[in-house]
Amino acid sequence: MKVVHSWLKEYVGESMPEAQVVEDLLNQHAFEVDGVEEIEGETVIDVDVLPNRSSDCLCHRGIARELATILNTEMNNDPLAQSPELPITKEITVSVEDTVACPRFTASLVTGIEVKESPQWLQTRLKALGQRPINNIVDATNYVMYAMGQPLHAYDADLFPQVDGQWKFDVRFAKAGETVSLLAEGGKDEDRTIELNGSELLIVDGSSDTPISLAGVKGGRYAGVHAGTTNIIIEAAHFNPTLTRKTARRLGIVIDASKRFENEPSRALPPYGQAEIIKLITDIAGGECQGVLDAYFEEKTNPQVEVTLAKTNSLLGLELTLTEVAALIERTGSCVEVQEDTLLATGPFERTDLCIEEDFIEEVARLYGLDKITSVVPEPDEVQAINAKQYYSEKVRHCLLALGFSEVVTTSFHKKGKIQLQNALASDKSYVRSNLSKNLHSVLDTNYSHTDMLGLRDVRVFEIGTVFFKTEEGVGEHTSLALGVRTKGSGFSAGDERVVVDACNALEELLSTSLAWEKEKGVAELNFTNVLEQLPVPTEYDAVTIETPPQYATVSPFPAVSRDIALWVTQGVQASEVEAVLNDAAGELRLRTDLFDEFTKDEKTSYAFRLVFQSTEKTLTDTEVNEIMDVVYAAVKRREWEVR
Amino acid sequence: MQTPTGHQHPLTKMIAEINEIFRKIGFEFAEGPEAELEDYNFNRVNVPKDHPSRDMQDTFWFKNKDVSEPTVLRTHTSPVQARFLEKNEPPVKIIVPGKVFRNETTDATHEAQFYQLEGLWVDEGIHLGHLKGTLEYFFSEFFSGKTEIRFRPSFFPFVEPGLEVDMKLLEGNSKLAGKWIEVMGAGMVHPNLLEVAGIDSKKYSGFAFGMGIDRLGVMKYGVEDVRDFYTGDLRFVNQF
Repeated sequence: MKVVHSWLKEYVGESMPEAQVVEDLLNQHAFEVDGVEEIEGETVIDVDVLPNRSSDCLCHRGIARELATILNTEMNNDPLAQSPELPITKEITVSVEDTVACPRFTASLVTGIEVKESPQWLQTRLKALGQRPINNIVDATNYVMYAMGQPLHAYDADLFPQVDGQWKFDVRFAKAGETVSLLAEGGKDEDRTIELNGSELLIVDGSSDTPISLAGVKGGRYAGVHAGTTNIIIEAAHFNPTLTRKTARRLGIVIDASKRFENEPSRALPPYGQAEIIKLITDIAGGECQGVLDAYFEEKTNPQVEVTLAKTNSLLGLELTLTEVAALIERTGSCVEVQEDTLLATGPFERTDLCIEEDFIEEVARLYGLDKITSVVPEPDEVQAINAKQYYSEKVRHCLLALGFSEVVTTSFHKKGKIQLQNALASDKSYVRSNLSKNLHSVLDTNYSHTDMLGLRDVRVFEIGTVFFKTEEGVGEHTSLALGVRTKGSGFSAGDERVVVDACNALEELLSTSLAWEKEKGVAELNFTNVLEQLPVPTEYDAVTIETPPQYATVSPFPAVSRDIALWVTQGVQASEVEAVLNDAAGELRLRTDLFDEFTKDEKTSYAFRLVFQSTEKTLTDTEVNEIMDVVYAAVKRREWEVR
Repeated sequence: MQTPTGHQHPLTKMIAEINEIFRKIGFEFAEGPEAELEDYNFNRVNVPKDHPSRDMQDTFWFKNKDVSEPTVLRTHTSPVQARFLEKNEPPVKIIVPGKVFRNETTDATHEAQFYQLEGLWVDEGIHLGHLKGTLEYFFSEFFSGKTEIRFRPSFFPFVEPGLEVDMKLLEGNSKLAGKWIEVMGAGMVHPNLLEVAGIDSKKYSGFAFGMGIDRLGVMKYGVEDVRDFYTGDLRFVNQF
């Protein structure tokens, strides 16, 4: 929610701090501030209003109230302070089919207005919020929504047919197959006609049973305000949040109004919205209010909640007194009755989120200051049980690591499979995996080309992870263990199988049980959950060292290039000495050096090294690498070593 | 050339370290299904149907024809709280490291599948001070240096009060040192969660926290793209 600093100040008064301080205060006590910027000469603060406060804080008055609460001052000007006294009109009627769906409906009649441009100050405020000013009437409805959180809609009264001298609104559910025309959405030119399925609530012109708008979700152009409009009807209602949300989600319409309705603003709010907009419109468009219809079918007020001192202090770990707790809760505008060691608290009407004791305790915590919570250092303690899966997974991991296998964690999504998701992220990720082998095969394929730069002779990988299968009731799952080997770049070979068999045997030995592997082309997989059931219950975890972390370097996207060099040295010259000379000569593009062969004959030793080069900026050409190797050969020659 | 020792994946390495740190203060390693019933993933952790709080997590659903009850790929490890509390009497002290799923477009800081760490301690008299102390202990051990914790107000349906937790590593020359970093959501377990599980919320209270293990990896190792954890690329894994 973007809020304009000067607008907030109008409510808060002279004690309104500058934007930077507002940011700090909100961050510490209420909401995260996403940023502050200057727009249209106004300071605009982007406040990330929390979901539970979207009922009262998606508006300037709400944020201003929050600031006054944090600052512990009275608001200078609070449009919710006085219950409005509105003149009554009998010229507008409403009939509501389901009062749970529409618990309150208000409509005011204002005559003799003049449609024109809004005054500059109003245009500036709307522009600062990223809104395009249209005319003074439409702008006023938007302005009051951003001011107080009450969505409103204005109709041209003369375009709205009367029945027996009355304007007649109906609020009813749609009929299946019925259509409603809605205003074009932001950025689009054409209005949208929507076919309804019967679950949606409609506002209807009662004279002809014509749908005007999707209640709470979006309005149409029916009886719209235009340049020549002189008499208007302004609607402000309360619609069921769940119903609003369902319709809005299903149709993919999420606009400022629907977002407010679905967060359950107070049912007391519509008359305040009417009072504010009548004042504003008569101010900027002239005219006179002839009266207001207020049909309040289902009243709902905030509950009185018992807040005990004991619970407050025991949840927060503080030692507050009852007086302190009462004062903190009162700062929110709540009504507080102090009893012996408890309070009876009722939130102000607009705070529909204050429903249980813990809600009030949260208010106490954030206003008192979360920085005042003192840490309790945890005591050493015994665990109730050892997790067998974690225990044996770690055993298996360390066994396989010692055999040269590295661990991978791969995607749970497959392009094809047995169980498809209802709403996949992409067509190649629409099934959940039923095995790990498939992923391991592709991991083996893609990694083989990196063996030189990794200093590996072959690729050995394993994974322990969840796989899914269908059951009678639904989707079942178990933990699977899979390992795979690739010894040749050309694909599966008999050599892969030998390494796999050795690893499988090593695991059988480790776990002292026979294992039912399924082997295919250098990859073996088994149901690890089944294995766990056969193993003894572990009694103590093996100790784990918390390592000082290695700092990771992003992998270069450019290919690595290898060159082998074999040379004779006098017996006794260490490999490390030779390697140092090679490395020094090879320079910065050298990624790694591996000794891959070594033997001694006639008092001379032969070493064979593989040098791997890679740039983080480009693909190295053969010529570039050859030039480096020439430098290496020259260095070797200077030491009078003989290149083989 | 001998076959060198293999490399453990940083995610499972971190989980092993997390378990080591928490087991010393009595937190049991708990787990639950990745294909989770809607009821546990949402309703029992106080995220009712058609409530705006469901917007916080985009969900993968299984097809109705495949399941007898609506089932999702769990969006968080919190359903394990509900499952564990149902079967166990307080005191309950658990951590739940596990894979979770969000139907979100991926980028360098978001994966549609990632690992989360849940923590829960329910007993008589558990308060925010225990949460703060436990987290300070954990981060100091995990990042091998004294760490401070800061709370800010927040909202998560499963807790009340709800908090955002920032940490600051006070020592060392790691890139993290000396800066406040937002690390997790936490709070005091919402009484609805306790009551649904048959635990008297007047007598017992508890804290819960949840954080991304991938994010811990970004902080601990300097990984720049969380998607790298799931590529199976040994040029990544073998650096650890």
